[in-house]
This record gives sequence, structure tokens and C-alpha cells, in this order.
Amino acid sequence: MPRHNRSWLVVPMSKPGQIAQSAPCKADVIVLDLAEFVRDRDRPAAREQARSVISTAIATGAQVFAQISPQALDADLTACVWPGLTGVVVSRAESAAQISAADEKLGELEATRALSPGAIEIVAAVETARGNSDAYDIARASRRVSGITLGRADLVMDLRAEPSNEFHLMQYLMQRLIIIARAAGVMPIGAWWRAPDRGLLATPTNTYEAARRGRAIGFKGAMCLRADQVEPVNRAYS
Amino acid sequence: MPVVTPRFIDHAWRRGCDFIVIDLEDSVPQHLKAHARTLVKDAIDKVSRGGAEAFVRINHDSVQADLEGAVWPGLKRIKYPKTEYGQEVRGLDEIITRLEHERGIAPGSVEIDPGIETAVGVVNIYEIASASPRVREFGASTGGYDFSRDLGVEMFVDFDQFIYSKGEAELVARALGLGVRAAPFVANTTGSVSDPNRALNQARAARLCGFHLGGGGLNPAVVEGHNVGLTPTAEDIADARWVLEQHRALAAKSETWAEIDGRVIDDYEAERARDTLEWADVCAQRDREKSEAVARTRAAMQASQQQ
Repeated sequence: MPRHNRSWLVVPMSKPGQIAQSAPCKADVIVLDLAEFVRDRDRPAAREQARSVISTAIATGAQVFAQISPQALDADLTACVWPGLTGVVVSRAESAAQISAADEKLGELEATRALSPGAIEIVAAVETARGNSDAYDIARASRRVSGITLGRADLVMDLRAEPSNEFHLMQYLMQRLIIIARAAGVMPIGAWWRAPDRGLLATPTNTYEAARRGRAIGFKGAMCLRADQVEPVNRAYS
Repeated sequence: MPVVTPRFIDHAWRRGCDFIVIDLEDSVPQHLKAHARTLVKDAIDKVSRGGAEAFVRINHDSVQADLEGAVWPGLKRIKYPKTEYGQEVRGLDEIITRLEHERGIAPGSVEIDPGIETAVGVVNIYEIASASPRVREFGASTGGYDFSRDLGVEMFVDFDQFIYSKGEAELVARALGLGVRAAPFVANTTGSVSDPNRALNQARAARLCGFHLGGGGLNPAVVEGHNVGLTPTAEDIADARWVLEQHRALAAKSETWAEIDGRVIDDYEAERARDTLEWADVCAQRDREKSEAVARTRAAMQASQQQ
């Protein structure tokens, strides 16, 4: 069923308190993150509580994704794949093989946890040069792949502001990703800001401007890192 | 600089450059090509006397003869123009490998820089950049006359007309783990190649964008601007130390980031700060090497004049 998810709000799995605070902002999707905003030492505890955190997030009415790491695929998926979860965001995806491995593990978990086969979606976050280089193969590596995003490529690839305030290389990467997404039949999800903002500090006004531009060049929705970014993203993509 | 112009080659060591490109290609007229090849060996020694690395730009259509003339001890890199296929790079690699062996040069030490200056080159960019381990630094030579002509693109406009080809080159360089030669867009609507202020502004923008490698210039007037602009300033260094201090305080907490004075402090910012400090050290080291080389050369010249 085609959907139009506008706002994807990332909340650390280790901070379930933030979900309650985020509920009034009406994100279309809550992404519970185990990969980017949880320290290594806090991950085992975060996995332990994943099932209950996911339930809390579902209760807000949002769709729920879990953001996982390809380096901890088995542990992360085992912790997160429960009824009610819509999909997983694979952070720093770099190869079709990683997506195939996730596909296989998801199939096993669906079979043992009373989920319908193929129900769990995959969104691939291509945040490295290797991932972007292989993005087309990644997007086509599994029928589960429903979306593809640049995630935090600006930081992972260290792309800084040009004098124009555009992040270096970003215009090329965004257009390339949108073409690949359309060719592969998956959703291109935006997530970037113009200098001087970093995503974590982008004001609602600047978020709205960036999202409007994103929509104009073909993105369908965008990742957000703060609750006050959700409303402008929803507005820009409505 | 053209290898056939002695006043350029003889004084190159005084210019403070990190590298000098000895040219056999566009700056050498056709009837002087054969003579030019006989001058390269000596030119490599001459241009390196101030501590610069010696590169030689060869012709696309006389590879064998040009490499025979160019691959000598002291040569750091061959610049090969208008590359269109990986096979061309492998061909260069074979000849260079033989010459290194015959001429007592450390095997694998001579680098290849395959220039991308045509549409076909852009289409085949991945196979070109990955064709030889001698390719260690890579970037599209955008803004070049040949490239603009081949693509039918105007050169001196006030917007970035090469987003796609530059992006292709940079993505490939990064995906292969090569040194990235790229630059932020700074408009040059006049076509000037010798404006020191423009050179400084361009190099500063590149530094603020996180780049370390300069693309070179066509006039000695731009050398200082490039060197100064690409070197971290005292403020950059102080700021990097401040970021690392804040980051150390963060490590004990479970948050992965903090907002301090309106800025984000996290692992990414710490990595950028470490990069700035390392790069400042590299620049200082390079400046020391060059001034020592210049001092040695001056002393040797005085000694020979006194005899």
C-alpha cells in the first residue's frame, strides 16, 4: 500500500522519556535509534528495553521503525522485531549483501514471532561514499526496501559548508539518490540542512525552507532530530 | 610550467610551492616536443631544490616517448591528460613499472594522476580511478579549458556548472579511499589565473570546507595565497582545542551530543577538530622541510660562486 510518510523523528532507544515528550508533535514515523545516538556501553541495556519502548511509541499513533547497525544486525533485529514494528532503518548501509543479510534475519524473526512474512520494511541509510556509490544495488537488494535516505551523510562524510552555504557535494548526492530511488521504485527520504545549521540545531523556519526545497527536488518526507522540526516538515510535505 | 622555458624551470625552487608540474603537454609547442623530453631529467632536479615535489604532465598521444623522458629518480607523479579508459592507466602503469626497474627507482613509487577532461572520461570514471594502485589522489579537473570545450560548457560563470562531473569524481575517490582533490565553488567570472586575492579566497573556502589538497595554479602569484589559505589559522587551532575539551567532558555521560554556546559537540565535531590539529602539524612540518631545502640550495650556490 503506497503511503506518504512526511516526518521521521529520530529518538534514541535509550531515552524512552523523549517519546512521551514527542507525542504531541505528531510525527508520521518515530525512528527508535540504537545506532547513532546510543553509546556502545549503553546498547545492551537499550536492546533489553526495546520491546517495551516500541510499544510506547506505537501507542502515540505513529508508525514505528527501529534504526539498527549493520555491524550488530542479529542482536539489533532480535531486540526490535516485534508485532507492531513497521520497519527498520539500516544505518550506514554500504552493500547489497548487508541488506540481504537483514532480509534473511527478518524472515527468521517473522516466522518465529507471528509476523506475516515480508511484513517488516527496510529503509537503507546510505551515509558513506561506499554506500552512495552502491546505492542502486542496495535499493534493489530486497523487496523489503521501501525507502532510501542520506541519513547523516553530511557528518559521516564530513561535508562542510561552501561559501554558498550549500553543503559540499550534497546537491549531487541528493539528486543522485532521488534518481536511484525512483529507478528502484523506493521512497527518497530527505534529511539535510543548509549551513549554518546542523540538523540537531536547525530552527523550525530553516527546517521548513530546507524541507520545501527537498520536496521541490523530489524527496518524499524527511528525517527530523528534534520534536520542533516535525511540524514544519509535515507542513512542507503536505 | 613549460619544460622548454629555462627562466621558469631555473627559478621554480624559489616559489615556495609544495609541488611543481613540469609540462610536456599544452604549454610546449609541437615542434619542440622531442627536445622537451630531453630536458625533463634535469628539470626534476632543478625544481625540487626548494623542497617541492616534482610532477610531469605528459601528452595523451605520445605516452611511450614521454614516459621514457620523464620517469627518473626524484619524480613523484605523472599527470596524464584526457583519460578515457582504465586500460590507458594500466598501460601507463606497465611502462612506469619497467622504467622504475631499469632506472633504480623504488618500485611502485611513481604515482599516476589520470586527468578527467572529457565526457567519456566522466562516464568511465570508476574504472579509471581504480585501474592502478599508483592512483592515490583523484579529482575531476573541472574548470579546465579542455574539459569545458569537450562538454560545451561555458567557463567563467557565477554558478557551479560542474556539479555532476565533480560529484562523480569525488564520490569515486572517496569510495575507493583515495586522496580527494576537490574544491568548493568560488565564482571566477573574469578568467584571471594570477589574482593573489582570489587565490587566497579560494584556498580559504577550501580549508573551511575541510580540504587539504590544492589543485595548483598557473602563475607564481597564487602560490602564497594557496599555501596560506589552506593552512589552519591560530583561531582554527584554538577552536579545535576548545571542541576537544568540551568533547572530553561529554564522554562520561550517556548523551552522545551536547549543545554548548549554540554549537553541537559530538564525535563528528571532535573528529573534525582532530583533523584540523593533525593538518596544522603536517603544514608546519612541510614548511620546515621547504625552508631547510631552500637554505641548503642557497648555501650550495654561494659556495660554488666563491670557488
